[in-house]
Amino acid sequence: MDWLDILSDGFFAAIAAIGFGVISRPPLRALPSIALLAAIGHAIRFCLMKYVQLDIATSSFFGSLVIGLGSLYLGGKQKCPNTVLFIPALLPMIPGMYAYRTVFSLLSFLNNLSDLALRSEYMMSMFYNGIITCSVVFMLAAGASVPIFLFSAKSYSLTRPGRS
Amino acid sequence: MKSYEELKETADFICEYATLLMGSGVHTSRVTRNSVRLAEALEVKAELTLFQTSIILTIKDKSGRLDYSETINVPQLPVNFEINSDLSALSWEAFDNHLTLSEVKEKYARLIARPAINKWLVRILISLGNASFCKLFGGNWIAMVMVFAATFAGIILKQEMLHRKVNAYITNIASAFAASLIASATLLLDAVNAEVAIGTSILFLIPGVPLLNGIIDIVEGHTLTGFSRLTNALLLILCLSVGLSFTILLFRDYIQWIG
Repeated sequence: MDWLDILSDGFFAAIAAIGFGVISRPPLRALPSIALLAAIGHAIRFCLMKYVQLDIATSSFFGSLVIGLGSLYLGGKQKCPNTVLFIPALLPMIPGMYAYRTVFSLLSFLNNLSDLALRSEYMMSMFYNGIITCSVVFMLAAGASVPIFLFSAKSYSLTRPGRS
Repeated sequence: MKSYEELKETADFICEYATLLMGSGVHTSRVTRNSVRLAEALEVKAELTLFQTSIILTIKDKSGRLDYSETINVPQLPVNFEINSDLSALSWEAFDNHLTLSEVKEKYARLIARPAINKWLVRILISLGNASFCKLFGGNWIAMVMVFAATFAGIILKQEMLHRKVNAYITNIASAFAASLIASATLLLDAVNAEVAIGTSILFLIPGVPLLNGIIDIVEGHTLTGFSRLTNALLLILCLSVGLSFTILLFRDYIQWIG
């Protein structure tokens, strides 16, 4: 295991999470927690994909599950709803590149309708990228929601004063 | 027992509260939970039907003899997690401390008047974030600097266009084209990293919050609003891909197919 790779993955994911998160105006006190959660989640996904050879969707699920659990703990401390912490933390894991490659493949497919070989290649590419996009986005949101379903009473009252 | 006017005033306020939450990108079940809690604190019973563009609210007096219904449009606001956090806390405060309507209104007015973070700081942070994203995809420092510049220009263009009330789809096409065009200058410096630079330069436009909110809504049973959010996000992704494909077409002799 190369610790430097893992640390740098987490570090850059944290900066990306703050950058993408700050467009959505999170409370400033939440930024350190968002950065920490994003770093841990992204590094977990990186490790699972690189060292356990798990696929990107399953790895994303475990990364976001940990982010979801962490957001319950840190949300209670910061008096923030857990979505305010975990949604920005999940943003670096959103498969944006796969998403627009799906659209590209569609455009190229339409451009090459008369060529059977190219057409099938772009069709494959469209399904490949489309399936990864859909399943990763789904797994991200589902993974972070599992803690809400498990500990619903706690996750509904994180902003309640006096208890956490 | 409340008078009709009191009931109407309470309903108007809860409507405003719920539409602000819905418009600021709060997921549906939280909007319902917070609004119902706030209504309970103000000693009425609330029933809500939520759509992406409008909310139907019925407020009932505790005795059940008087009710008041209202349909109100949801404004399309930028995502704002501070409002999500503060207004959720406000509903608990009202619930626990039995605040009156005028007290809640006063606190509400103070919370929504909070100043935004400096917009130039936001733009720099977004650009830094996208540049680190480029690093995660294996780009070198030349690509990172170019992505920083591309994102900085792209986000200024996007925010200024939206500020001037230009259509969101057209804004996304234009910003994606501008950002990827600037990033394609990497071709002159380092052709190997140009693909990563062009590919990541537009990722700040991906509507991640509606995508995640859409799935959260669906798994929590609010299928209709969930799909509305996802459809919206999908159209935005379609638009940014179109903007990016203009750049790719311009430089198609120099860029390998990046699919």
